[in-house]
Amino acid sequence: MSHHDVVVIGAGPAGLSCAATLAEMGLDTLVLDEQIHLGGQIYRNVESTSAAQLDFFGEDYAQGRAIVERFRKSNAKYKGGATVWQAEGDGTVCFSCEGSSQQITANYVVIATGAMERPVPLTGWTLPGVLGAGAANNLAKEAGLSPKGKVVLCGSGPLLLLEASLLIKKGVQIEAILDTTPLIPSLSALKHMPRALLRTDFLLKGLKILWDIKKSKVPYLRGVSGLKMLGADKVEKVECVHKGEKVTIPTDVALLHFGVIPNTHMMRQVGCEMHWNPDLRYWHPVCDKWGRTNHDRVFVAGDGSYVSGAVAAGLKGELSGLEIACSLGILSTKSRDEMAKPISNKITKDKHPRPFIDAMYAPRAGQFAFENDTVVCRCENVTVGEIREVISQGAHDPNEIKIITRSGMGPCQGRMCGSAINEILASELEASPDEVGYLTIRPPLKGVPLGEIAAMKFSEASGPADLFKNQK
Amino acid sequence: MFKIDPSQAQQTVTVLLDGKHKALPAGMSVAAALLGAGEIISRVSPSSKKPCSPHCLMGVCYECLMEIDGTKKQACMTEIAEGMVINRNFTDEEDN
Repeated sequence: MSHHDVVVIGAGPAGLSCAATLAEMGLDTLVLDEQIHLGGQIYRNVESTSAAQLDFFGEDYAQGRAIVERFRKSNAKYKGGATVWQAEGDGTVCFSCEGSSQQITANYVVIATGAMERPVPLTGWTLPGVLGAGAANNLAKEAGLSPKGKVVLCGSGPLLLLEASLLIKKGVQIEAILDTTPLIPSLSALKHMPRALLRTDFLLKGLKILWDIKKSKVPYLRGVSGLKMLGADKVEKVECVHKGEKVTIPTDVALLHFGVIPNTHMMRQVGCEMHWNPDLRYWHPVCDKWGRTNHDRVFVAGDGSYVSGAVAAGLKGELSGLEIACSLGILSTKSRDEMAKPISNKITKDKHPRPFIDAMYAPRAGQFAFENDTVVCRCENVTVGEIREVISQGAHDPNEIKIITRSGMGPCQGRMCGSAINEILASELEASPDEVGYLTIRPPLKGVPLGEIAAMKFSEASGPADLFKNQK
Repeated sequence: MFKIDPSQAQQTVTVLLDGKHKALPAGMSVAAALLGAGEIISRVSPSSKKPCSPHCLMGVCYECLMEIDGTKKQACMTEIAEGMVINRNFTDEEDN
């Protein structure tokens, strides 16, 4: 069983920057990442991609190279294709890599699991040919793949429009962009406007995207509702309501996007205290300014702690690194604070446009219709109606709903349905999602063959029986 | 459903896909390679019995779960390799 000063989970901007900060100070730092290549989602494949791809995705993608290069130079250890399936507040981490699992320990664990697209159940979203817009972006970065045939983009948020502009640039045949953002922006957006104006460079990028879409003459329908994906064995058309009228658009590929939310499964399993943000409508861990959770040895860095984008994620990773180095006695509090100051200033500057963008695009309570015939739990094929039925029968805890309906019990372990169950239950009980609570997340966080666990080596003090102890 | 950018220099690997030899693009995940080769269906859902295609491509949704070299794996998290044995078990109704 190996021991490290710090184990960092996730090799996106936050994980890589955190690990580099620590390793540069001589600390034994191991990064475990379940993806094939480092870079996370935003900088996917940035290390080995072609010059043409770098040019195509632009400066925001290419700057990932500097983060990766710094990490590679730092002497931090890196294991790709390593899936962490259990982490504990005492610094114990279990992971599976190349067909075998092992348990390691660390003085500090940094969870840098990033963000994921908000799963919003819609009628027909399980049909082949319906993907996340982020999925299409990943395929382009990783494999140079672009959607073929008629493409429709549906949903809301800056990343939906960014993806649309990239596909337009690629010459993909976009039939329509169906934007579900309410036509009347939230009043709170106005009050955040002055701060956003401090970053005209950012706002200009946004305007350029909107201009590219307008110039392309791709039909851009705003304020749509009632999105449905229809088809027999694959998606054939997308239906929606626009200006009170039903619109039907033939499609081969439908790309969905409803913003991004922190990927919190691991934090919940560790037992990190979580907070519901009613404005952004997502859960995030309660952390101090360094990313330290209620568990002294466990930090969360990057978008996993709160979605602020790639640049801030990297900087947040550096801040966590400084505090850990300080806790390990490598850095005085004075040096920590001196080194942290310019980083914090950069974060503040980077975040200027965020409150405005969040207020423009954050979903509102009740925005998602959740039709009764819609499948919520893709793995176990459980519909909204079935969930509502058991709620009406008195199941008022997400875990009860899971036990009765199997929703959240399949291979994805509630990653795709957890937030929707949370919203549906809250709405049925006329409560807020934090009042009704969330699914309990237990190890193994990802499916792992029992044979792997049986073959694991443990220290004399513990054995396999200790693996799942202390779990709720 | 997807096409590979012709500007990307493409090497291929040969795998055994559902019992048949198949050339797939190299240097990417199994899920991306299959999508690039027009193999859209990743599995048949054991619960709904309906075909699925990969949805998130980042390890969250498990819609690309398939048997790779004897173990159920997320195809989007597994790098394609020469000689891989991939079974999508289209007729397997066993729940996982």
